[in-house]
Amino acid sequence: MLTEEIKSILPEGASFEEENPATISVPPTVWHTFARQLRDKAELHFDYLACLTGMDWGDALGIVCLLESTVHRHAIRVRIAAADRRNPELPSVYDVWKSADLNEREVFDFFGIHFINHPDMRRLFLRNDWVGYPLRKDYDAGDNNNPVRLESDETPDATFSFEEDSEGEIREKEHILFEEDEYVVNIGPQHPATHGVLRFRVALEGENVKKLDVYCGYIHRGIEKMCESLTYPQMLALTDRLDYLSAHQNRHALCLCIEEALGIEVPERAKYIRTIMDELNRISSHLLFWSALCMDLGALSAFFYGFRDREKVLDMLEATTGGRLIQNYNVIGGVAADIQPDLVRQIKEFLVYLPPMLKEYHQIFTGNIIARQRMQQIGVLSREAAISYGVTGPSGRASGWACDVRKKSPYGVYDKVEFKEIVHTEGDSFARYTVRIEELQESLRILEQLADNIPAGDFAVKAKPIVKLPEGAYYKSVEASRGEFGVYMESRGEKYPYRVKFRSPCLPLVSVVDLLARNNKIADLIAIGGTLDYVVPDIDR
Amino acid sequence: MFDFTVVTQWVDQFLRSFLPAEIAILAEFVLIGLCLLAGYALIALVLIYAERKICAFFQCRIGPDRVGPFGLMQSFADMIKMLIKELIDINHVDRFLFNLAPFVVIIASVLAFGCIPFAKGLQVLDFNVGIFFLIAVSSIGIVGILLAGWSSNNKYSLIGAMRSGAQMISYELSIGLSILTMVVFAGTMQLSILVENQADGWFIFRGHLPALIAFVVYLVAGTAETNRGPFDLPEADSELTAGYHTEYSGMHFGFFYLAEYLNMFIVASVASTLFLGGWMPLHVAGWEGFNRVMDHIPSVVWFFGKAAVVIFIIMWFKWTFPRLRIDQLLRLEWRYLLPLNLLNLLLMVVVVVFKLHF
Amino acid sequence: MKSTPNYIHGFLSGLESLLTGMRTTLRIFFRKKVTEKYPENRATLKIAERFRGELVLPHNERNEHQCIACGICEMNCPNATIRIVSEVQPDETGKNRKVLTAWHYDLGSCIFCQLCVQTCPQNAIRFLPTFEHAVFTREKLFRRLDRKGSRLAAKPQTTPTPQTPAGNQ
Repeated sequence: MLTEEIKSILPEGASFEEENPATISVPPTVWHTFARQLRDKAELHFDYLACLTGMDWGDALGIVCLLESTVHRHAIRVRIAAADRRNPELPSVYDVWKSADLNEREVFDFFGIHFINHPDMRRLFLRNDWVGYPLRKDYDAGDNNNPVRLESDETPDATFSFEEDSEGEIREKEHILFEEDEYVVNIGPQHPATHGVLRFRVALEGENVKKLDVYCGYIHRGIEKMCESLTYPQMLALTDRLDYLSAHQNRHALCLCIEEALGIEVPERAKYIRTIMDELNRISSHLLFWSALCMDLGALSAFFYGFRDREKVLDMLEATTGGRLIQNYNVIGGVAADIQPDLVRQIKEFLVYLPPMLKEYHQIFTGNIIARQRMQQIGVLSREAAISYGVTGPSGRASGWACDVRKKSPYGVYDKVEFKEIVHTEGDSFARYTVRIEELQESLRILEQLADNIPAGDFAVKAKPIVKLPEGAYYKSVEASRGEFGVYMESRGEKYPYRVKFRSPCLPLVSVVDLLARNNKIADLIAIGGTLDYVVPDIDR
Repeated sequence: MFDFTVVTQWVDQFLRSFLPAEIAILAEFVLIGLCLLAGYALIALVLIYAERKICAFFQCRIGPDRVGPFGLMQSFADMIKMLIKELIDINHVDRFLFNLAPFVVIIASVLAFGCIPFAKGLQVLDFNVGIFFLIAVSSIGIVGILLAGWSSNNKYSLIGAMRSGAQMISYELSIGLSILTMVVFAGTMQLSILVENQADGWFIFRGHLPALIAFVVYLVAGTAETNRGPFDLPEADSELTAGYHTEYSGMHFGFFYLAEYLNMFIVASVASTLFLGGWMPLHVAGWEGFNRVMDHIPSVVWFFGKAAVVIFIIMWFKWTFPRLRIDQLLRLEWRYLLPLNLLNLLLMVVVVVFKLHF
Repeated sequence: MKSTPNYIHGFLSGLESLLTGMRTTLRIFFRKKVTEKYPENRATLKIAERFRGELVLPHNERNEHQCIACGICEMNCPNATIRIVSEVQPDETGKNRKVLTAWHYDLGSCIFCQLCVQTCPQNAIRFLPTFEHAVFTREKLFRRLDRKGSRLAAKPQTTPTPQTPAGNQ
């Protein structure tokens, strides 16, 4: 069905492979029109660009897009290779899927592919004076190209784009971001409300936000590049350091991806343990969200209540995994060690402990008139915008998009437990807040069902000392605390992956800040940032 | 009840006994000034300690407990640190205004501090428009804050100062009106007479409903006036890092810090003077024995006890509520507090005219 | 402007929500505090056994360790934290064997991924839950895990286990 539909609109020069999922190779000239058809044709309705990965296949540079339909729930992969390696150009699809905006900038940053008609072709993560494109396979990583620079990076007030004029010529065009006389304030990189080293440049008109520009990359560590020179077991240690508040879930995604490629069946016990740990991690993350949001909105005591309760979760995690933040618990084929015998008792105690605390949270914050007025009707994200920008997780669900990967394509033992996918339709800050608080309760419900029923058996299968993935491309995603965390991996059958891309849930979150905060107050910008709940190391991978 | 005029008169006579009258008065000025400043600093230190402890207790923590027993010496240690810290010289600031601003703020609060009747006979400034004077001088502080924000040449500071200006001008109205309500009730503006009038019942009891409403409004507006949470927008740390005093360091910052706490104390003192009887003990008309027992508690204790209760309430606000947004802040004043206040003033006039009070 | 009843209702319900909050915080004010008084509580402080504080090469009472200097840990370390120095010496039977001469470990660059412990065929190394590692210079974090004059234990105390992703218990 899907195959026929796609074949009916397949442009000239495109090839179609019926793997799972279907993979289409499209020449760059027709990519933009084809993308529009993919999105607009009712039977296909690919409205969600899950992941856009830059690729260096050696002979050509290009991108791989993972598309999903939120209506039909089918997925395809599209590969587009640029014709000329020395001057790679691809048409931009930012007007088809908004999530392509920042992703294409990232690809430009790391691969040097120019996206034609993309309105803003600045580097996203690296400095403007960076030499070369680091994720290309022929990149010279020596110190001479990019020594540690001691002068600060000037932030230009203008950007440029490559646009095709009527004669088909590609021209560079300049666009002004901030006018000379605009009152531009830096929120970040060192600012209490950015939750890390993220920087917004905000044009203000009195208290109102007129325009906002995101600058990422202050703590970019090049994890994707590092992964290319690490073996698969070594890579695992790095995922914990992406979104450190969903360390376990990130690592779960990577393990699932590798296990799927290797065809390893994980023991039932390990699946249960992984699911329990995922949920504990989610609870700890949402508690931190609550605390941090309260602090952003000025309720400083509430901050400590959240941390007090999160401490209990961390203690549990620490006893079993040996880490509070960086847990290192999932391994290829299972988990690193069996659970601590005390864990089940601790979880049960926690199940009794937390609900009264949640009640207090509501008394102190949720019900509070000030808090409500700070969040209700503020920063409304529509469902269409959420899908187009790829805003997943609690923030997407607050806009009415049922995007929970745990329901969409269950992993672990999520298909065996009962829980509600919390979906609100308001899309405002308060909805994002409520979704998370209600998810806390759902996580408790999941734990309640799992804690007593962990089956006996092995906690891991024996893995080979040297892991080699069969040649091919693999994508696996999980529901991390902040949304869909995906791992896209291409292997050429070696000890090391050929390319690893982490689909971070937080990059789309910052990409909507401008949309949400415009024409709101500065204080609203803080509330919006707080309820979107991005974690910066996840943006800057 | 011990009357402090005994002490002050003794000092006066002692000085006059060996000095000419003019010099004696000059010496008294200096003495009073020194006492006032010492008291000012001491109260600020105690308040800072109290705030840290109370805040900690609201947050399930113990708070400072390392320096001295129960951390009592913590604020002294902090004071020493603050005094010896470098005053960082910042480029591109309007140096004169930048250095002037903290002094304007602190002078305003010292002036207001001088009006407060601490105990029976222990008051520096006492004249027939005392409360009027107090409102007038305490609103000079806003000039200092605006100057600080403007001269810092920092965008955060400027936004903070502007917020502060809007906020103070709005809430001064509420403060003024709720004080006016009590002035209508008391029939005087002189602080000493205000307190004397409460000898057989504090105003908050005698004035019942209108006095109670005025008290609540005064507390809310007073909290806003001192830039404390939930009205701490001018220095909203999660939005403007530190607002108008972002660029200040060392003792210049210390002045803002001291003034913030002292302003809180002044608001609490005025509240206790106007509504809770100032240094006047709790008297119930007719209960002679009870009244006599109450009289044995020194008036200083009464005054500071009442102020402490009010301060605790103000801190309780801060450590419970999230911060308001600027438009909500102004809406609260202009749409809720101001009409309420005007109605309350009318009500008070009715109460006074028809003698409905106790 | 909304209608008057709405206005008054909004005001009162708002006031009530504020009072609810104040009641709750006051209750918490009198509750037991959760502050951990470190370092006074060192005696009672419980650190999870599995906590990864530092890597050690356990020695027995005869100053013998289990390391056969195979270098698998060094190979597996993603951050080049481990450096094994060995030399070839004949053993009692006259066979040439690798002998450990120095076990270098840089605590400062360790990312505690546990791969070394998991892959060690001899179970020679393990993590300890100690955590007080603050020092003033980075050089102090370069450590030598083998003790002076130590040698390989004659016979492994535990049978070498195959490579399972076991924890560090």
